Amino acid sequence: MADWHSEARLRDERIAAGRVLADGKVVPAGAAVDLLEAILRPGDRVCLEGDNQKQADCLARALAACDPARVHDLHMVQSGIVLPEHLDVFETGIAKRLDYSYSGPQGGRIAKMLYGGQIQLGAVHTYLELFARYFVDLTPHVALIAGVSADREGNLYTGPNTEDTPTVVEATAFKNGVVVAQVNAIVDRVPRVDIPGDRIDFVVAADKPFYVEPLFTRDPAAMTETQILIAMMAIKGIYAEYGVRRLNHGIGFGTAAIELLLPTYGERLGLKGKIATHWALNPHPTLIPAIESGWVSQVHCFGSEVGMDRYIRARPDVFFTGRDGSLRSNRAFCQTAGLYACDLFIGATLQIDLAGHSSTVTRDRVAGFGGAPNMGSDPHGRRHPSDTWMKAGHEAQGTGDPMLMRGRKLVVQLVETFGDKLVPTFVERLDALELARRTGLELAPVMIYGDDVTHIVTEEGIANLLLCRDADEREQAIRGVAGYTEVGRGRDRAKVEALRARGVIRRPEDLGIEPLDADRALLAAKSIKDLVHWSGGLYEPPAKFRNW
Amino acid sequence: MPASTDPDAVLSGGDEAGPPPPARATARTGMSWYEASARQRVAALCDAGTFAEFLGPTERRTSPHLPLFDLPRAFDDGIVVGRARLDGKPVLVAAQEGRFMGGAFGEVHGAKLIGLLRAALQVRPAAVLILFDTGGVRLQEANAGETAIAEAMRAIAALRAAGVPVIGLVGGRAGAYGGGGLIAGTCARLAVSESGRISVSGPEVIETNRGAEEFDSRDRALVWRTMGGKHRRLIGGADAFCDDTAAGFRAAALDLIARAPAFDLATLEAEQARLAARIARFGDCRDAAEIWARLGVNDPDAVPAMEAAAFAETVARVEEAHHDAR
Repeated sequence: MADWHSEARLRDERIAAGRVLADGKVVPAGAAVDLLEAILRPGDRVCLEGDNQKQADCLARALAACDPARVHDLHMVQSGIVLPEHLDVFETGIAKRLDYSYSGPQGGRIAKMLYGGQIQLGAVHTYLELFARYFVDLTPHVALIAGVSADREGNLYTGPNTEDTPTVVEATAFKNGVVVAQVNAIVDRVPRVDIPGDRIDFVVAADKPFYVEPLFTRDPAAMTETQILIAMMAIKGIYAEYGVRRLNHGIGFGTAAIELLLPTYGERLGLKGKIATHWALNPHPTLIPAIESGWVSQVHCFGSEVGMDRYIRARPDVFFTGRDGSLRSNRAFCQTAGLYACDLFIGATLQIDLAGHSSTVTRDRVAGFGGAPNMGSDPHGRRHPSDTWMKAGHEAQGTGDPMLMRGRKLVVQLVETFGDKLVPTFVERLDALELARRTGLELAPVMIYGDDVTHIVTEEGIANLLLCRDADEREQAIRGVAGYTEVGRGRDRAKVEALRARGVIRRPEDLGIEPLDADRALLAAKSIKDLVHWSGGLYEPPAKFRNW
Repeated sequence: MPASTDPDAVLSGGDEAGPPPPARATARTGMSWYEASARQRVAALCDAGTFAEFLGPTERRTSPHLPLFDLPRAFDDGIVVGRARLDGKPVLVAAQEGRFMGGAFGEVHGAKLIGLLRAALQVRPAAVLILFDTGGVRLQEANAGETAIAEAMRAIAALRAAGVPVIGLVGGRAGAYGGGGLIAGTCARLAVSESGRISVSGPEVIETNRGAEEFDSRDRALVWRTMGGKHRRLIGGADAFCDDTAAGFRAAALDLIARAPAFDLATLEAEQARLAARIARFGDCRDAAEIWARLGVNDPDAVPAMEAAAFAETVARVEEAHHDAR
C-alpha cells in the first residue's frame, strides 16, 4: 500500500529529536549546534537565510560548528553567500552542493573554491528564479532563518528587514520541512506577526543581534563629477524623454547621483511629478532629498537599510508599513513589482561586451547578481501599456500592426568607461565565459543579456540600442560610447558618426548638456550629514558613514 | 603675478590682484569649506578680489621627483601661497590642495610654504593664515618633505617670536595629519570645523601598526570622535570651532588674530603645564567620550550629533577649552 506520509513522519522525527533540547520551542544559543545536529540529515537541502542585507549569522556559526561526521553533504539553497561560514561548511564537508543568487564579499573565495572543486555549483540564479525553485525542485528540508523577535509560540516579528523570510518559510513549512528561527529577543508579545507561529518549529535566542549590511548607503561625499555628468545625461536623455515614472535603481554611485539630482537638476528641467514617482527600491538614504521635496509618491522595498527605520516610520504615505509603524519589506514581491510593474531598470556592471551582454563575474571574482537580472529583463508576460513602455516598443520595432506591438521595458546600464583601478568596463569577451569553461558550467554567468539592454550611458554619451537594426550597428553603438578603452578605440568612425546623426548615439552636447556644469554643487546633499539634515534628524547613519 | 621677494612688493597687494575669479566659483552661496578647492577657499576667505598669488600655476614649479615614479604633477604642487587683505589688513596666506596627493608635503610644496613664512618675517603682515589640508609628507619625496616640516616649524617659531600671529584653519577633506599635524601644533591659534581633523598618525596607520582592535579605521564615528573638530575644541587642542563655510572660518580667523598669545617663556611654560595636566588627567581613557565625561560634559554620547549652538554652550562650560597657552 502506498505511503503518502513518509515526509511528514521524517519531519516529526526531526522535531522530536530537537524538542529534547528545547523549552517548548525555545532553544538557547549555546544549544544551537546540538539542535542542528539533531534535526539535520546527510544530504538535506538547507536554506540558511542570508541575502545581500540580513544574515542568520548565529545559525550560520552553529552550522559551521557541527560535526562533519554527523552533518555532511548538505545541498545549500540560499540567496546569498556572504559570511565566511557560508563557505567554511564547504571546506569541512558539511555541505557539498550549492545553488545561490548573490555573493558580495565572498566573491573571490567562491571563485577559488569553484576552481578547486570544493563546491559543486548548480547555478547562479536570479532571486525570483531561486525562489521559484524553492517551490518546484529545490524545496528545503530545513530552513534556518532570522527575525528580530518571537514569542514563545514562535510568532515571528522580522522587523523592517523582512526580505526573503516569508518565501523561505512558505516553501519549507508547507512541504514537510523544519523551520528554525534565530531571534534577537524572546518577548511576550511581538510588535506585529510577520510569520505565524505554527510555521516556526524552533526559536533560537541568538547571542547577539543578526547582522545587517548597509549595502544601499552611498556617501554623497564620494560622488565624482563624472558620475554626476552621467546622471545628468540619464535624467535628460532617458527619464525625461520616455517620461519614466515607475522604476528601480541599482546600488551604484551613478544611480545615487540621479537620486540626488532630482530636486536640483530635475527640478530645473521642470520634471517634478513627471518622472520618478513610483519606485521598487530599498530605502536608499540618497532618496531622502527627493522624498522631502515631494517628488516621490510611493516606494516598495526588497529589504530595509540600516539607520532608515525612524525616517520610514515618519513617512508612511511613502513607504509600506505595518500597523506597528515599521517598514514591511518583501524581496519576492518587490522583485515581481520591479519585473512587471516598473518601466525602467537602471544599474551598473563590471563588464559589457560588444553585443551588450554584461556580467559582474570577473576572472577571480564570482559576485552573484542580486536583483539586477530580474529587474533588468524585459518581461514577456507583461500586458498592460504605459507611455514609457509603448514608446520603447515603437523604437524597437518600427513596423507592424500597432495593436499587436509589444512594448519594451527600458533596461539601462550606467557605467564609466574605466572602472575601479582603471580597468576597462568594455571588453571583447566577458570573463564569465572563461570562468564557465574552467569550471565546466553549461551556461556562462551573464547578469543581463544583451538583447534585454536598451541603453548604455557613459561619460561619452548615450547609446540607444533599441534603434539599432542589426548586430553591426549595435556593436558600433557600443564602441561609440566606450571612450578610450580598446573597444572604444576600435570603432569605425564613419559608422559611429552615422549613428550619431540618427540619434542612436547622443553626446552630452547633443542633449544640451555642458560637461563643465557637472559639478558637485548640483547634488542636493553633499555628505551623509546633509542627508541627516534633509531627514529632519530622523535618518541615523551607521558609524562607518559618519564623519562627526 | 610677479614672484618677487621684495618686501614691499610682497605686501602691496590689493590693487593688482588680477581679474576676479570666474563666476562659477563666486556664484556659490554657502559653499562648503570641506568641499571647496584651495583656490576657492582663499578667494572666499579673504577680502573680495584682494588675493594675489606667488608662484602660481603659470610658473609651473612642479615636483622634480614625481616623474621618477610615473606620477602626475600639479603646476602649483598642491599649495597656493600669496598675499591678501583680511578686513582691510594685509595678511599672507597658504592653502593646501587636499585633492592633489592628499595635500602632502613635497619639496616644492614645502618650499613655497617656508618661503612665505620667511617673507612674512621681513614684511610683518597682520597675520599669516595656513589653510591646512594634508595627510602629511609625500612618500615619494619623503626626505625633502620631512625637512620642509622641520623648517616650517622653525620659521613659525621665529615669526611668532617676532610678534606675527600664525593662525591655522583646519576643515579640509585630508585634515591636518602627519607633519601637517606637527606644524598645526606650532601655530599660535587654530580654528577647526566639525569635519576637520587634527592628528599625527592617521587612522589607517594606527590600524596597520597596532591592529583593528586598537583602532578600527573604518569606524568613521570613532575616527572623528578621536581626531575630529569637536574633540580638538573640547580639550583645547583648537581654539575656535566654526561652521563649514568660508564665512565661519573668516570670522574665526579675525577673532583668533585679535587674541593670539605672546610667544614668550611664560606661554611655553603654560603650554607645557597644560599638556602635562592633560596626560595626567586623561591618559587612561579608552575613548574620547570618557574624556568628555571627565571634562564635565553632561551627556558625552550626545556630543557627535550636537548642533553648533548646543555645542558652543557645551564648550563654554568646559574649562580646558579655554587657555592662554600654546
